[in-house]
Amino acid sequence: MVKSTYLYMFFFILCLIGNLSAQTANVSPERKQAIDSLALEKVRDLSKYIGIIGNKKTAFAEATRVMDRAEELFAPESEMGVSSLNRKDIVYYKIRKYFERLMALNYDRVSIKWYEIHYISDLELQPDGRYVGVVTVYQRFEGESDDGLKYKDTTKKDITIYVERKKTQIAGRTVEFWDVMLGDIRVTETKV
Amino acid sequence: MISIRNSSRLAVWALVLVLCITGCKSKKKAMEASRAAEKAKMEQEASARKQKEQEELKRKEAEEKAAREAEMKAREMKEKESGPKARLGQYFDAIASPGNVASANNSITEALALFASPETPVLIIISGSGAQKDYDRPTTIKAYLNYLKDQKKNINRIESLQVDPSGKVTEVELRKN
Repeated sequence: MVKSTYLYMFFFILCLIGNLSAQTANVSPERKQAIDSLALEKVRDLSKYIGIIGNKKTAFAEATRVMDRAEELFAPESEMGVSSLNRKDIVYYKIRKYFERLMALNYDRVSIKWYEIHYISDLELQPDGRYVGVVTVYQRFEGESDDGLKYKDTTKKDITIYVERKKTQIAGRTVEFWDVMLGDIRVTETKV
Repeated sequence: MISIRNSSRLAVWALVLVLCITGCKSKKKAMEASRAAEKAKMEQEASARKQKEQEELKRKEAEEKAAREAEMKAREMKEKESGPKARLGQYFDAIASPGNVASANNSITEALALFASPETPVLIIISGSGAQKDYDRPTTIKAYLNYLKDQKKNINRIESLQVDPSGKVTEVELRKN
């Protein structure tokens, strides 16, 4: 009896996964390209948010609001790697913690710019129906204090991207959408 | 001899009479013909005049119709230009333009007055059309306006708006350019 219940459950899960895969596999190259662009757009949005949060001229209330928005771009429990030219190890922080630390940096002027944002691993359909890919970015960080303290570095970071087909209710009707979520951001290189 | 002369005189008179009668008749016929031709000409002229008048009337009617249509089109355009879609587009541009945060916040407050609620849903089409549309994650108008302010880019155009009976926007559909 118990065995047959497990068997039914196994087949049900298998059917569910199969159905999900069938839904997402049926994506034309044009649609796939639109999803790829959407994911890159989210990374560019994050770069802008990081610039605002790090900028010392940003008011606290604005920075907090932007942190909320930036956090929404990430999958839960995602982490951001932080490196320094002054130490060997890379420290990983939960996204919110990273933003808070970024806002509290002990510099009077901070400039953070992301560039050369591109895929190093295309979005590929996974058995669970999600698309997963990796985007790489270069981050130029410049911090300067009035007392003459300066720090500059360039880090290469790899961002895992998850794209999932989801449904929601809008004004009583079901709307399907592509949910792009950023995962962990790993530091792969740090240089002057 | 006298009878021959008399009979020839009679014949001459008869001939003259016949000629007179024939002449009168042809003159009458010619007059009748000329009268008929004149009548036909007059009728033709009247018909041409009538036709001309009708054409003139038709032309005037067509001109009036074209003027009415042009006026209606102009009114529609004006309504379109000052309608919520155009106004919202202007707000999007103003909020996304590089400027200070306070001015962007003012524009956001003004723009929100067009909506039934700050939580009005915003759908962004990333590809497709008709029944097959791919959307980005739905957001709210308040979040979207702040997004424009933060990102300083207005890359989505307004596809359609749903409006309630009081003229407030209840749903926005945008399309990625």
